[in-house]
Parts: sequence; structure tokens; C-alpha cells
Amino acid sequence: MKPASFEYLRPGTVDEAIAALDHEDAKIIAGGQSLVPMMNFRLVQPERLVDINGIADLGQVTAVDGGVRIGALVRHAQAARDTMLGTAFPIIGEAMRHVAHVAIRNRGTIGGSLSHADPSAEWPLLVSLLDGAIEITGKSGVRTCGTEEFFFSPLMTDLEEDELLTGVVLPSLPDGAGMAFDEVSQRAGDFAVVACGAVVAMDGPCIGSARLALGGLGDTPLRATEVEVALTGATLDDIAGIVADCAVDLEPNDDMHASAGYRRSLAPVLARRVLIRAAERAKGKT
Amino acid sequence: MTDAPPADQSQTVRPKYIGKKVERFEDPRLLTGRGLYSADIKADRMVHVAFVRSDQAHARIVSVDTDDAAAAPGVIGVFTAADFPELPELSAPSAMKDYHATVCPVIARDVVRYVGEAVAVIVAQDRYLAEDAAALVMVDLDPLGATADPVAALEPDAVALHDNVPGNKVLERVFETGDAPGEIAKAQHKVSARFRMRRKAPLAMETRSYVAQYDSGRDQLVLHTSSNTPGVVRDELARLLNIPGNRFQVVSPDVGGSFGGKGSVYPEEAIVAMLARDLERPVKYVSDRLEDLTSTSQAFDEIVEATLAFDKDGTFIALDAEVIGDIGAYSIVPWTAALEPVQVVSFLPGPYRTPHYRGRVRGVCTPKPPTGPYRGVGRPAAVFAMERLVDMAAATLGLEADEIRRRNLVGPEEFPFRIGSGIRWDRSGFLECLEDAASSVDVADFRKRQAEARKRGKWLGLGFGTYAELTGIGSRIAVAPGMPINTGNETASVRVDATGAVTATFATASHGQSLETTLAQIVAEELGVRPSDVTVKQGDTALTPHGTGTYASRSAVIGGGAAIVSTRSLLKRVKEAAGALFDVDPDTVETGDGEIFVPETNHRITFPELAQAVYSDMKALPMEARKPLEAQENFDPYLGTTTAATHVAEVEIDSETLAIRVTRFIVAEDCGRMINPLVVDGQVHGGVVQGIGAALLEELHYDDTGQLLSATLADYLIATAAEVPALDVHHLETELPENPGGFRGMGEGGTIGAPAAIANAISDAVAHLGIEVQELPMTPNKLFRLIAEKQGKD
Repeated sequence: MKPASFEYLRPGTVDEAIAALDHEDAKIIAGGQSLVPMMNFRLVQPERLVDINGIADLGQVTAVDGGVRIGALVRHAQAARDTMLGTAFPIIGEAMRHVAHVAIRNRGTIGGSLSHADPSAEWPLLVSLLDGAIEITGKSGVRTCGTEEFFFSPLMTDLEEDELLTGVVLPSLPDGAGMAFDEVSQRAGDFAVVACGAVVAMDGPCIGSARLALGGLGDTPLRATEVEVALTGATLDDIAGIVADCAVDLEPNDDMHASAGYRRSLAPVLARRVLIRAAERAKGKT
Repeated sequence: MTDAPPADQSQTVRPKYIGKKVERFEDPRLLTGRGLYSADIKADRMVHVAFVRSDQAHARIVSVDTDDAAAAPGVIGVFTAADFPELPELSAPSAMKDYHATVCPVIARDVVRYVGEAVAVIVAQDRYLAEDAAALVMVDLDPLGATADPVAALEPDAVALHDNVPGNKVLERVFETGDAPGEIAKAQHKVSARFRMRRKAPLAMETRSYVAQYDSGRDQLVLHTSSNTPGVVRDELARLLNIPGNRFQVVSPDVGGSFGGKGSVYPEEAIVAMLARDLERPVKYVSDRLEDLTSTSQAFDEIVEATLAFDKDGTFIALDAEVIGDIGAYSIVPWTAALEPVQVVSFLPGPYRTPHYRGRVRGVCTPKPPTGPYRGVGRPAAVFAMERLVDMAAATLGLEADEIRRRNLVGPEEFPFRIGSGIRWDRSGFLECLEDAASSVDVADFRKRQAEARKRGKWLGLGFGTYAELTGIGSRIAVAPGMPINTGNETASVRVDATGAVTATFATASHGQSLETTLAQIVAEELGVRPSDVTVKQGDTALTPHGTGTYASRSAVIGGGAAIVSTRSLLKRVKEAAGALFDVDPDTVETGDGEIFVPETNHRITFPELAQAVYSDMKALPMEARKPLEAQENFDPYLGTTTAATHVAEVEIDSETLAIRVTRFIVAEDCGRMINPLVVDGQVHGGVVQGIGAALLEELHYDDTGQLLSATLADYLIATAAEVPALDVHHLETELPENPGGFRGMGEGGTIGAPAAIANAISDAVAHLGIEVQELPMTPNKLFRLIAEKQGKD
């Protein structure tokens, strides 16, 4: 279980990294938590590895106009303890506890998780839930992309081979929004069988607006838009009924660990739990 | 207090070390990265091996084209079966009748029989280059069809895996006492079920690793191996390679676990040894995790269809069982294919009185890796099936789990007790362990908590797992029936050298059992030195004429017994020499804490001083008194000794997600006299953790074509710290067994009791749904299916 040989480059800037990607078979390596096992199994055998760990300004969390920008090299553990993120999006810290184990959280990056595009992973779900804009840098400059356009299918994204995911901008949420994340996994730290995240703003005793994202139920993280609409104006007691059928039309994976039916059965349970928790947190703020 | 008698000065004040919590001597080395494992060995001109392995389960080898691989950078050689025409095949004959030993070429010849079987060997300058070249070997396989399911493999139309194994049936054996079918037919109360214990991996942290070095000047071959049975490997490979034992040394250095998986003789060991001799270069092979999951021997994989009949009071009358054991493609060497499945039927009646018993087992070949020894051998599956039946019987009568066991366990006055399969239990704390465990859980209180929790959507369950096992098995009983080797004895030699230092040598091979500490405690106590004064040497065939290794809960009992009898012989010599030196009767000489003395006299010397007198000083002692301070004795317990325990698990199931959590775990066990409670706790903890894995997580999923679907640690799931509750271990010492130390083996019990206890706990938790656990591991996904099927039916 040794990788095939490869050329290794370690650029110091984004421009150098983009230049290094001008090669017919180059791969970016950051935390290496998905790529290296795939290389060891020889499932991928890139001729060139472009190591972006030396690009210092990719590892920052910064305030930007209307939100927070997370650099592609920000590690899961770093995101979990970042005070700016913790204040604006406490759901990130809540979700990061489910990302694998400490050693992996110390190395793995948000950019790696998004570009690997595992539909059960936490970051794709969070960025989808939080309406994040994914920042992609290429030869012709920077473009941004929402998760709907970015995620195609498992391991497939809108990212071109000569492009680098450089960061994500999460727009600020209205004051008083509550949020919650939960997932079911086989063991602590395993990929989610099903994951759910919710953002809720209250309007008196009713839900003013709600967002709900589901992971592990399709080829990409999913926003339950119909549920979101139905939740507007609903009370907390209505939630269970509204989410009851949220997965009936979905066709999740059916594998040795979880049948499609089992995965579908988890969706309304987790949806209800995160929505109620988010709503209660929102109430606590107002 | 003033009435207390004065301490008798003539009594030995020698410190006692057996039973003390002595911290492990291995730890400073192993915990700070200073261990030396096979993979750590480096040598000049060393070459590295990678194997090309079959990607099909059952196929004829049409051709193996090695030309491109042989021409690849850094490649020293590429070898296939054609290159080893002289090498005999691996086979494990058995004295059992109706047994068909399979023949396993060290490298696939003509036919492959499981995914992962080695087809070609690459030798290169490093493992990277070897894997590059391995990818260039073109193997043309012509599929022969595969019957991967063990039941289907016994059908007349199944694809035959071996020409000499008719109907894929390697073995069949029946144990019968009384008339179980007749009693069951007329019994008023009976329960039946079909239990399935899925195939699992032993999964030692250190994968199989071999380094062979050949000294052509001395014609000496040395194999360093991750095996826990270096003696077995030496004997078998010496025969295969036709090398006398004095020119072939097998060493197990530090070994990172085995759990049985590294305790058999592997083709790769033979190949590495042979290549080192042929190439006259050191050869290293370190298997990776994929190879570990696809080519190391596997565990369990049995179907147990059983019926238990009992009277209206819950007293067992008869037990009948049909067992099919899927042994994989080849019988494991040297233990034979009988090892695991036959022990399921031998141990099935368990610690209970069941007058009538009939158990039939059939071992069937399927195109999967061989099953082999795994911690608990046969007993995890047997105890799972029996303990489920016991709880099912209790449920039909409205009895609590502890009560039905209390009514059927062999009582203290009934030992020795022979169960229906012929196994003889000696006195062990069957009932005592049950009572201790039952009183610790407070069943009545649990039922209240269970009812309350159900209102909150939490299903709580309580499960008992009571068992007995044979450990420290002597030469009278084969570890596997009919197997060709003797594992029932152990020789120790203990010596005081010219510096006065104590070295004790064994043929054991500790790979996590802490024998460097526990055997040193025994020698120290018997000789009268401190444990830290004793160096234990083991795991090296050059040290002992014969020995097998460490497995089957034997080393504390048999190795510890040999330590006692050998050290007593040495102590006699020490006393004789000291007696001559002091000019006193040797019987008046005592030892303790590193000193040799005569109480109430000025005669007091240290072991180095005695050694000086015996070995170096030519005046202190007359020549005839200068006998070397060394003794070697053999110990064979002849029979085995019985270890018993009751495990109790409490689980909590989320009624909506079906997530299963073990929230409480109690072990009450009787392992006789403990040598070191820290080590006993550690062994119980480790075993229970593996038992939790077997109950809830670990499963090698094979599809119908024999492809392994769970071939990485992302898919083959083992318990981690997060899945394990605090473990509450109670040690009971009822009556000590009749062996020199009063020890019972206890290295395997954790994996034996835990799966059954958890299966019963889950069954208790979901009983109100009308479902129960008949298959392990039980997962939320499987629970979902059971509930859906039940609701579909109702």
C-alpha cells in the first residue's frame, strides 16, 4: 500500500500554485486526509503533487464585507476553535466534533473537504446550509460559485483541473438566528450515515424562517427547500409533521452499512431534532 | 491490638510478588518507541517483497506474465509457483476420521481459491518499487465459479473447491450423550433458533511481518517473524525447507498483538525464508492493512441451529445443534480446519447441566481466506448461541435471566462435571460469578429504569453472558481435535549466572500478555529475588529445544507452572551451595529480596556473592559443591483447567435512530490466583472491547462471488474508546485449581462472554417489538431491517 512515484512541488503563493497546476496530471495536496489514502491504494496516481501548505494567507479566517471568509487551508480543528466563527456560526464548532478524530481534524482542511465532495461530509453540508460562496482561483482570476453549482456528485465538482479552491465566504446570518447540527454515524468519527443542519429565525412563537440541509441522502448535500417554505410561520409542534416525509422521494446509497430505507428513516428524525434545537437556541437569543 | 501475637521471626518475611500490581517491565520500552518489531529490522543489502494477489475468488491460472515486472526499475526477481517446484505444500493432517486435509501451495499453483491468495512474488530494492512492479504482472485468470455461501457450498450442485474434498465438506463430527432428539420430541417446553456469527478479522495492530537473513558462511538461516508461535513456525518450516533446527532460528521479537491471526504458519513466511537463502540477501516482507484483511486467517463464520428443551421450572433437559462452519479455502496450518467449528459443538452445552446433548458440526470450504485461531476459539459463537437459548427459555417461562442460570449452572458440589460433549469442568466459580454479577446489577431496579426510559424513546436492555472455558490445556487434550502437534507442555530454564543475575528462559512468545513481568514475578517469588532482578527470555527457538508459543490462554498456566517447578529446582541448588558455604544444613537456608541467609544467624550473602563463590572463587567451595546454578524442568498439566465468568451488559437503543450504545459492562470472573491484577484487568478489558466489536461492529462482508467489500478500516469497523463504557471487573477466587501456581488462563474470556451478553441485552431492549438477536454483529441497519420485517408480517 505504497503510492506510485510523483513529482512534488511546494509553491509559496496562489499564483505559483496555479502555474504549477498547468500540467496534464497534477493534484493539489493540503491536509492529505483523503488524497493520501487514495494514493496509497493507487486509486489515484497523480504525476505531480502541488502542496499548498506553504501558502500562508490561505490559512486565515477573516471578516469580510457581509460575512466571514474561511481560507482553504483552515484546518477543521482551527475552524472549531476560531472565535470569529464561533460567534457568527456556532454550528461549525458543533459539526467539527463529528469530523473524524483529533489527528485528522488537525490536518484536514475545509478546502480539501469541499473539493473531495463526499456527500456525507460535514463541510459540504455546512456551506450549503449557510449559503456559502466558494471562491475558485484559476489562470483568469477568481470566480465564486454556490454549492448548488459546485457539487455535481460524489467526488465530482465544478472545479477545473487547473483551478484552486482558495476559500469560502459565509454570509452573515440575521441576529437572533439559532442553528444546530447532528448526525448519525456508525462510530464516533465515522462518515455520517445521515447528517442534518438547520438555521432557524423566530418570529414570536412561530418560525420566521428556516433552513435545513441534509447529508448522506444523495449525491450531494441537499437543501430541503420545500420543507423550508412549509416551516415559515409554523410552530415548534408542527415541525415533526412538516419534516415527516422529507426523504421519501430521495434515493440514497444502499450499502453494507446502511440500507436506503434506513437512511431515509433517519432524515425526519434528525431534521426534527436539529430544527427544534435551532429554534430553541433562537428563542434563547431573543 | 496489644493482644496480637508477636511476629514469628522464624517465619519467612520474604516479600510475595505473585498477586501484586507490579507495573509492566515491557512498558518503558514499548510506550516510548524503543520496542523492536520485525518491521524495524534493517540490514545491509536488504531486499523487499510485495505479492501479486488474486483478485478473483476461484479461478484457473491461465498464465502469469512477469516480463514487464522483471524489467522494472529496482527489481531483483519475480517468482511464481513455477520457480519453486521443489517446495512442498502446506497441509495440516488430522487424526479425525472423515477429515479431508486441504493442500495449500505456498504460492498459487494452477488454481486460486480466494481473493488475496498470492500468485507472484516481487523482490525489489524497496517496497515502493516492488509495488510498482507488482502492478505490471499480468495474471490471466479463467473463472471457475464460486459458491461463497457456506450452506450453498454443501449443496450437490455447488462448485467444488478442492478435488480431494468431496462436496466441499472438510469434516463432520457428532457429539452425543443420551437421547437429545427423543427428549426434545416429547418435551413440553423448548426454544429453537438459527444463529449466525459473522466472519471477522483478528486485526492485530502490527500486521504480519517477516525478515529472513541467511549467513552463507555458517549456513545459518534466521527468520524474524511477527508470529506468536515461533516454535510452531520453526518446526514446520524446518520440515518444508529441509533445514535442521540448529541451522534455522525463528525469533519473535516484540510483537504487536495477534489475537490468533498471527499464530499459524503462513506461506509468506516460507517464501521469505526461502528467498533469503536462495538470494543470499536479507529479505523483508511487511504486509499492509489490505493484505492483513484479505490474507491473514479470519474468525468465526458459523451457523448454529439449535434447540433447547426444558421443564416447567426451567431445568434444562436436552440440547440439539446443527453447526456449519465456513472454514474458507484452506485448513489452517498446523491447527487444522477442525479448530474453530468443532470447538463450537464441544463447548455449546456450556457451564450447565443438560443431560441429553447431540451436536453435529460440518466444516465447509468456501473461496475465502482460511479461518484460524481467534481469541476465544469456537467459544464466542457457542456461548452466543447457548446464552441466547437460555434467555429465550427464561422468557417463555417468565423467569429473569439470572434465575434460569442459577437453576441450571453446575453447582460447587458437582465438580468435576462432564458435559454432553465430553469436556470435563473442574471446580470453578460458576455460580459465584453469576451471583456476584447479578447482585451488582440490581435487576429489579433495572426493570424500573427500563420502563421509565421507554417513555422517553430509549430502549434499555440488560443481558447476561455466562460461560466456562478450558485453559492451560495439557497434552491429554488436543487444542484442536486430531491436530498433529503437542501444545500441552512448557519447559523453563532458570539460571543464576556468574554475575549473580537471574535469567529465565521460556518457549512462550508474549505479544501483549505481559509475560516479561508476570513470569518474572513468579520466578522472583520462588527464588527470593525481586521481580526486576529477573530477565525473561522467550520467543526465540535457539533458546529451547521445543516449544510452541503463546496462545490458547496457556502461558500463565503452563509457562507459569514450568517457572515454578524449574525455580524450585534452582532454589534447591542455591540452598545446597549456600549450605556448603555457611556450613549449615541446606534446609535451614532461606532466600528473600535478593539475599540468601540463615535466620537468626550472621549468615547472609547476596546472589552475586553466591555466584562468585560457585563460579569464580576456587577456594570458597569444594569442587563438588560448585554445581552450576541452573535448572530446567518441564511442566505438563495433562488436562486443562476451567475458567468461568459472567458478563453483564446494559445497552441503550435510540428508538428513532436505532443507535446502540453499551452503557454499562460488568465482568465477574474466576481465573484462580491472579499473578498480577493489573495484567488481568488489562486482558479482560482488551477482550471485552473486542467482544463489543464482534457484537456491534466487526464484519467481513463477502459478496456472492467471494469479493471482500469491507477491505479497509473505513469499512471494517472496530470498537474505539468512544464505543466502550467503563468496564467493571470483579475477580473471584473460589477454589484454586490443582496446578503448581493455582492459576487459570484468562486471556480470551473477554471475547467469549461479551458478544453473548450484548446480544442478550439488545434482545431484552427490543423484546417488546417481538424481535430478537440471532445474528452478530447486530447493527442499527440490521435492527431497522428486523423491525421492518416484523411490521411487514404483522
